[in-house]
Amino acid sequence: MLLQYTIRRLVSIIPVLLVVCVIVFLIVHLTPGNPAYLILGEDSSPEAVAQLEAQLGLDKPMAEQFVDWLKNIVTGDLGESVYSSEPVTDVIFARVGPTFSLMLTSIVLTLIIAIPTAIFVVWRRHTVLDPLFTSASLVGASIPEFWFAMLLVLGFGVAVPIFPVAGYVPISAGVGGWLHHLLLPSIILATVEVGLIARMLRDSMLESVNQDYTKTARAKGLKESTVLMKHVFSNALIPTTTVVGLTIAGLLGGTVIIETIFTIPGVGQLLIDSIHRRDYPVIQGVVLFIAVVYVLVNLLIDLLYALLDPRIRYD
Amino acid sequence: MKRSYLLVIALLFAILLVGCEGSGDSNASGDKKSDSKNQASEEPVKGGTVKVAFGADPDTLDWMSTGASPTRDVSWHIFETLFALDQDFQAKPMIAEGFEKSDDEKVYIITLRKDVKFHDGSTVSADDVVASINRWRTVSSVGTIADEYIESVKALDELTVEIKLNEVYNAFISDMTAPKSALMIIPKEIAEAAGEKPLTPKQYIGTGPYKFESWERGNQIVLTRFDDYSAREEEDWGGLTGKKVAYFDEIKFLIVKDPQVMINGLKTGIYDYAETIPPDLYQVVESDPNIDPVTYINGYTVTTPDKSEPPFDDLKVRQALNHALNKEVIAESAYGNKDFYSMDGALFDPEQTELYSKDGTDDYLSFDQEKAKQLLKESGYDGKPIKIMYSNDTETYKRISQIMKQQMEAVGFKVELVPYDWATYLEKWQDPANWDLVVVGWSTRFSPNELGMLIEDTASSGWYKSKQWESQLYAWGLAASSEERKDILTDMNQTVNDELPFIKIANETKLDIKSAHIPAYDSWVGQRFWNTWKSE
Repeated sequence: MLLQYTIRRLVSIIPVLLVVCVIVFLIVHLTPGNPAYLILGEDSSPEAVAQLEAQLGLDKPMAEQFVDWLKNIVTGDLGESVYSSEPVTDVIFARVGPTFSLMLTSIVLTLIIAIPTAIFVVWRRHTVLDPLFTSASLVGASIPEFWFAMLLVLGFGVAVPIFPVAGYVPISAGVGGWLHHLLLPSIILATVEVGLIARMLRDSMLESVNQDYTKTARAKGLKESTVLMKHVFSNALIPTTTVVGLTIAGLLGGTVIIETIFTIPGVGQLLIDSIHRRDYPVIQGVVLFIAVVYVLVNLLIDLLYALLDPRIRYD
Repeated sequence: MKRSYLLVIALLFAILLVGCEGSGDSNASGDKKSDSKNQASEEPVKGGTVKVAFGADPDTLDWMSTGASPTRDVSWHIFETLFALDQDFQAKPMIAEGFEKSDDEKVYIITLRKDVKFHDGSTVSADDVVASINRWRTVSSVGTIADEYIESVKALDELTVEIKLNEVYNAFISDMTAPKSALMIIPKEIAEAAGEKPLTPKQYIGTGPYKFESWERGNQIVLTRFDDYSAREEEDWGGLTGKKVAYFDEIKFLIVKDPQVMINGLKTGIYDYAETIPPDLYQVVESDPNIDPVTYINGYTVTTPDKSEPPFDDLKVRQALNHALNKEVIAESAYGNKDFYSMDGALFDPEQTELYSKDGTDDYLSFDQEKAKQLLKESGYDGKPIKIMYSNDTETYKRISQIMKQQMEAVGFKVELVPYDWATYLEKWQDPANWDLVVVGWSTRFSPNELGMLIEDTASSGWYKSKQWESQLYAWGLAASSEERKDILTDMNQTVNDELPFIKIANETKLDIKSAHIPAYDSWVGQRFWNTWKSE
């Protein structure tokens, strides 16, 4: 059943990606700017530009370029970077590590902080803790990332140099160095996400805190902690999972600013660089890649629902 | 405890203020040599890695195929030319031992130094030089100009090359010396295999003191010391020639976009050197004992009118514009710190002693609003809005354009600002319908042939056409002595002064920073990491 559903969902991704392809291609090619001028510089001759355009295949009609591109995608070939002539798949693959690392550490950090905090706040919901938490989460979610990043860099990178102010070390070169470089950026990303997720969890927990089934549970003489964990928390997991899923997918694009501030050579930086240089195949490849990951994460979350809530059936 | 807290807040505040000023521009001036140059009394130390925070990832390291500065600044560690500029911007031999010119000035016999090693272990021979020159004639913007004068290039023996020209062209050595789209010497097989295509990383084989190791695009470029480097002996030449000693085991060019990250990185020892810091941050840098500022000339900013269409096809309107602009005010608002710009109307920088003439620039600072109004009235200007186009990626261009607008409106121009990102700007530049004035900067050039804003009938010169300029460029090719060249340079200044193909704003000085652990560093144009070392 679940397998059938998964296959059906996977098939339904194709038209979505096709639409993404069309839109990305149009946006990229209708934006003014031309890699030939950028490569050849300010005082390039028109002949040299024309020659390079022909070499890059940019002189062909747009429809033809699009069809060529689509044909290649089907075979898994995303084309070559205009600048380095490296295959786009290799270029993206080289950048996935840092971005996924950053996503992983920040999401783990987020969950470690958000879940216990939300549970604790709901448990102490009648104290001053609750309004305090509400405002704190609001502040966390509304702090501009770039500002907070500069603040932390100055504090813990320059004034008290505990963390490196920039750079990235791959996990293959040692977990310690990897984590050391990622912790500060992850804290920044997590600050925003913790606010959102903890708030979501608290709200959904509070909704079921006075439902009939929890009252029954309490009437049975269960301890409050058991009621909260077993009945309230597990029921609040569904909406929270949705938010976590969206967060993960959003992080893929949302790490751009943090990657720039900490010079982490990830997918976000690659995308920005390629846009500035009008490296068409790379821009298209990266956006397509992000779209695929986004759709897959959403599918995964949907499948997770069935695990979390046996009432949900996919057939 | 409390005090350090306050300090952090104060710092933050400063950074916020500075952050608002934006980034992306370059320059500075005044004390053009690095401050610490004279303090260098320590013994050189061999070894270690110099980590350079580098603002832009080059498109290629093929120094022959592009004039871009990021390519140049990395590549001149790897590749060398037959002749190269010394610290006074004079051509001196590099791979060449010397040259002789025939009596009719049309035949050049170039002899090469013996046993100059390529990074692949082979020795530079006349055949390699011939193949490199032939590639240069097709791929380099400088080489294609020289190509028109070249009749034949051949190897006479293992170390001698003969070049025959079809007419007298005395700028030939200067063309071969240009550190832009340079005549770098590469092995014959590589030159022939690459042809007109840019070299690939495997083909980065030169004769320089450092060799290419690896390149992770967007992240880092690594060079390592070339132990078999064949050094020259002259210790006082400087620039790109003379004795070069590679002290570092490794140079890492790390791509870092944000100047604040560069400064923080230098403070905490992540980087040893960082290029292109906005002059706005000069105070921050100067006050830190661990950071030394490094400054050097960086060309100048101009505004170029589109001379193919009204209103700027009319010289009177261009003159009105020149009189309308108070360039000192513009420069002050654009660059802020006086050390990072200078007012000089010549085509080249005063530091370029062989190329600089201060004469012929009388109208450079001739701010006169009444005169501008008068000229504008006499001209055919019909009150149509003037479109000033610029790239807002560079803060300086933005500020210059904004102040120009005010000053132009004060004398009766109608003005519209048209900002774009750099990529869009480059494309829009090609069509005269898109703009009337552009504001842009031109990096330091080393020959009148390279002045991009004066290449006739192109977008970059605003479709300039001038018999006068043509004849002076031709005369430049014939000039045989320093005095003759100086006269021609004065005439060239005068032509630009009279015909106003572009209007110069101000000379720029670029600001880099280095760690105090690098005691001796000779600042010139761009970064060079030979003859310098880290003290720990």
